[in-house]
Order: sequence, then structure tokens, then C-alpha cells
Amino acid sequence: MVVDAESDLTVVGEAEDGRVAITLAEKLKPDVVVMDIGMPSLNGIEACRQIRETLPDTQIVMLSMHSDEGYVLRALKAGAKAYLLKDSAEADLATAIRAAVAGKSFFSPSVGKVLLEDYMRKLQRSGAEDSYDLLSPREREILQLVAEGKSSKDIANLLELSVYTVETHRARVMQKLNLKGIPELILYAVRKGIIA
Amino acid sequence: MVPDLMTTPEESVPSSSATRWLFLGVCVALLVLLLGSGVLAVDALSKMHAQQQAITHVLAERSQMLSGLSFSIQSYNDAVRQFLVEAQAEPDRQHIERLTFEIDSDLKRYPVQRDSAEAVLFDGLRAVYLQQRTVYVSILERKPDERRRQAQNTIAEQIVPLQAKISDWSGKLRTWNADRLKSMDQSLVAEFNEAQRGLTRALQLGFVSGLLLVLAGMAYIVRLERQTRHRYTQLVESRHQLQQLSARLVDAQETERRSISRELHDEIGQALGALMVDLGRLSNSLGGDRPEVKAQLDNMKTVTGRTIESVRNIALLLRPSMLDDLGLVSALEWQGREVSRNSEVEVEVQSENVSDSLPDEYRICVYRLVQEALNNAVKHSGAKNAKVIVRQTPQSITVQISDDGKGFTPERTRGMGLLGMEERVKRLAGILKVEAKQGQGVTVKAELPLASG
Repeated sequence: MVVDAESDLTVVGEAEDGRVAITLAEKLKPDVVVMDIGMPSLNGIEACRQIRETLPDTQIVMLSMHSDEGYVLRALKAGAKAYLLKDSAEADLATAIRAAVAGKSFFSPSVGKVLLEDYMRKLQRSGAEDSYDLLSPREREILQLVAEGKSSKDIANLLELSVYTVETHRARVMQKLNLKGIPELILYAVRKGIIA
Repeated sequence: MVPDLMTTPEESVPSSSATRWLFLGVCVALLVLLLGSGVLAVDALSKMHAQQQAITHVLAERSQMLSGLSFSIQSYNDAVRQFLVEAQAEPDRQHIERLTFEIDSDLKRYPVQRDSAEAVLFDGLRAVYLQQRTVYVSILERKPDERRRQAQNTIAEQIVPLQAKISDWSGKLRTWNADRLKSMDQSLVAEFNEAQRGLTRALQLGFVSGLLLVLAGMAYIVRLERQTRHRYTQLVESRHQLQQLSARLVDAQETERRSISRELHDEIGQALGALMVDLGRLSNSLGGDRPEVKAQLDNMKTVTGRTIESVRNIALLLRPSMLDDLGLVSALEWQGREVSRNSEVEVEVQSENVSDSLPDEYRICVYRLVQEALNNAVKHSGAKNAKVIVRQTPQSITVQISDDGKGFTPERTRGMGLLGMEERVKRLAGILKVEAKQGQGVTVKAELPLASG
């Protein structure tokens, strides 16, 4: 299908439900698994979690009908790198797969839009301040790099800082934005349109 | 298995009004009987009393008169004797004549009606008197010396026998008096006995019919009690059946919704998705050369996209897939965001210790409660904020939904929504509380006990 049209991508196997997907992945050890969230017998999120546990080098691209943050956050927590909505999957699938192989996050543009709308509406209704404004330029830089999937060491090399300084900045970002863990940070970045 | 609610055997309802009237009638009759016999007894007693007084009066009068007569006659006799003994010429004549006059008037005054014994007495006394009178007249006709000469003789031959006669009559009189008194007493006793018998009969009748009435009343009450118990059992049973039925309805509804939702999602959704992809590919391969075809295909894609969106929304409304995919909390959070997105109410969802492996009936119950409560808040309350709190303990799961809207009066507005909530909560043996005051928002709180841990 879509993937076959790309010269640098090859489909090595197909599974009809979550359990088969896990067995097949363990056998074939692919670089990327494109996973549908809504599958019979074992849903995509659980399958994703199990595959990531046994095959940490295999990246997961999640396909879903839902742009709601409940699904996105859960997919991220389960270890998915990319999250695509089915109605736009065709256009973005190849890009997402390539991003995932490179260890980067990728989200359908409309996911970010929905998340941002939810966030803005909440801010507006509660009259609270946008916590993003509290961040310093350096902190914003580090937020983006972390969200893109880079480790503290990568960031330290890139910005010519010590790993310790990067860790400190990172902790302060998490604290200022009231985030618990990397998945929430990524979600936040997607919501703000920092990463796509 | 489905309870047969339509054909519960209709029991023949006893004509209670007829029975009531019968009871009332018998009671009144009994009371009338008792009252009547009482009145009759009092009447009889007072009559007897009056009769006794009258008889005593008449008797006393007659006895007195007869005694007086007897005494007068004796005095007359004594006077005649004295006249003879003392041989006075004139002074006593006047006294005797006065006595004569008294006796005459007594005799004349005596009532004409008299019984035989009385008549005998009366006639006897009159006869004695007439004899005396004859004696006296003969004495008076004599010359004084002749009278004196014959005095002893007259006394011995005429006056003494007369005196004996008088005392004889006096004795008879006393006997007669005693007899009459006795007979009167007897008749009174007889009458009294008669009255007593009547009263006893009336009392017996009253007692027996009262006893019958009490027995009948007891029997009736026992029957009513049995009927009531029967009805109550029936009621409890049918309520139980109704509850089972409604629980089954809720279950059936959920099952149906889930299967329709799955069908929509798996069949129609997937088919539309495939259609979408094909359209996109077609548009890419054909559209390059012919822009009008590309425009049409893109239009078709848009329509298909909208259709996918609405199918997804319908499927989610019927059965939120998050509930199965992500668990209760995620589903509630999703719902909160969904409500926030589409209405003026900002929903906050908090959860404590809520397990992802809750049994499905608990998940769906909590979810539907929140759905209904938020729906109400959006539709009716004009609230700005709503808060959902779910808490799980080893014993139970509690959900509370509160808003800051204008509230309602729970007594008046107990619509289908609340009824549905109650049904769902009752089905899991939980308790639903709706606190709503006009102008103070609504709090819906449900506690569902968890079956052992």
C-alpha cells in the first residue's frame, strides 16, 4: 500500500490483531511497527508497550481515529514515537516512519491543533497565565530538544553545555510547566506546536 | 424468564361497602336492642314502683277507714253502755248522736267498689252497727227508771254480745289487712320476677348477638389481614420483578449499544477509511492532468471525511472505545474534554486509586452517571464549571459530579435522566444521592460497593 510506494521503506510483515503483532515483531525485529490503536483481542497501546519492552530498538508509529489527549498521552507512555490520525495517515505515514527511525517524534498536524485548542480554552476559561511565558529562551530551547527525542548528553554536546546544566534546565522546565515525565512533556510540546 | 406483568390474576375484590353497611346495621341493631331493653327495664321498675305506691295508698286508706269504722262502732257501743250504766238523762245523747252521724257519713263515704272479703267485712260492720242502733233506739224509748231497772239485763243480753261481735269483726279486719298485704306483696314479687325475666332475656340476646358480632368482626379482620399480606407479598414480588426487568433493560441497552458501536467502528468506519485512502490515491494519480476531476475527488474526500467523523462520533456516543481501550479514568477525562470542547461548561476530572481493571458493569455505570450528570449540567443548569471526582477504595467506588449552575428543586424535577441513574446504581446495590437546591448547583453522588476487594 502506501509504504510500498516509498523506495526506502519495505513492509516485512502484517498482523491482524495485537497478539499476532507482538509475535510477528519478535520474530522479524523490524525497525518500525505501524500500529492501529483499535484492534481486536489486544489493543494497540498494550501491544506497543509489550513490543517496546522486548524490542527497545523497534520504534512504533501509532495509527488512531482519536485526536484526544487521552489516547495521545497513553500512546506516548506506552512508548510510541509517532501518532497519526487515520484520516491524514496517507499523507504523513512515510514522514512519520522516517522520523521514528531517526528517534524523533511525529504527530499529525490536527492532533497538535486539537491539543492546543483544549489547552487554550482551559487557560482562557480559568483565566490562568500561559506557563510557556515563564520559560527562559534557554529553557525553551531545551524543551524542544527533549521533545524531539534527544538525550541530555546529545543536548549537552549540541549546546556546548555540561550534562549537569542540561539536567538542571530540564528539571526546571518540568517544574515550571507542572509536567510529570517525558510523555507529558512531548504532549505539551505538540500542543504548543513546538514539534510537529 | 421475563416476568409476566400483564396477566397477574385479578382477585375478586369483596364488595366491601356492602359488608361495611351490614356491620354497621348489626351494630346499630345491637345497640338499639340493649338500649331498648334498658329503657323497658327502667320503665317496668318505675311502673312497679308507682303501682306499689298506689296500691299501698289505696289499701292504707281503706284499712284506715274500716278500722275507723270499727273503732267508731265500738265507741258507739261503749257510749250506749255508759249511758245505760250511768243512767244519765241527757248529756250523752248528743255524744251518741254525733257518733251516729260520723258512722253514717263513714259508711256513705266508703267506696262502692270492693272485693268479696272486703264486702263481707263492710256488710258485717254495718250489720253490727244497725243492731246497735236498734238497741239504742229501743233503750231511748224506755222510761228512765225502766231503763235503769233493765240496765244490767240489757248490758248482759245485748251490749256484751255486741261487744264480742265487734271485737270479732276487728279480728277479721286485722286478718283481712294482713292477707291483702301479703297478696299484694306476692303480686309485686311476681311482677318483679316477670320484669327480671324479660331483662335477662334481653341481656342474653344482646350478649349472644354481641358475641356473634365480635366473632364475625374477628373473622373479617383475619381475612383482610390475610388478603393484605397476600397483596403485600405480590407487591414485593412484582417490584422485585420490575427491578430485575429494568436491570435487564439497562444491560440489554448497553449490550446493544456496544454491538452497534463496534459494528459502526469496525465495518462502516473501516470501509469509509479504505474509501478515503482510495479516493486520495485516485485524486493523486488522475488529478494531475484533469483539475476538474481532482476537484470533484477532493470534494468526495471531504464528504467521506465528514462521514467518518460523524460515524466515529455516533460510535463513541453509543460506547466510548476509551472505556475498553484506556480504562475508566481516561474515558472520563476524554468525556470531560469533549464536554468542555462542545459546551460552555469547563469540566475538571479528578481520580484517586481508580483501577484500570474495574469490572465492566462498574465502568459503564460510573461512565453513564457522569455522562448523564454532565449532560444535565450543560442542558439545564447554565453552569460554568463542573467537577468530577472518582475514588476507589477496597470496599467501594465513589463518583461525585458537581456543578456551579442554578440547580433545581429535586422534588419537582425528577426526570427520566435521574430515574435512569437510579436504576443503574440500584442494579449494583449502590446508593445515589442528588443534592440540588434552587440556585446552588447540583451534586450527584453515587457509591457502588465492590464485590470483595
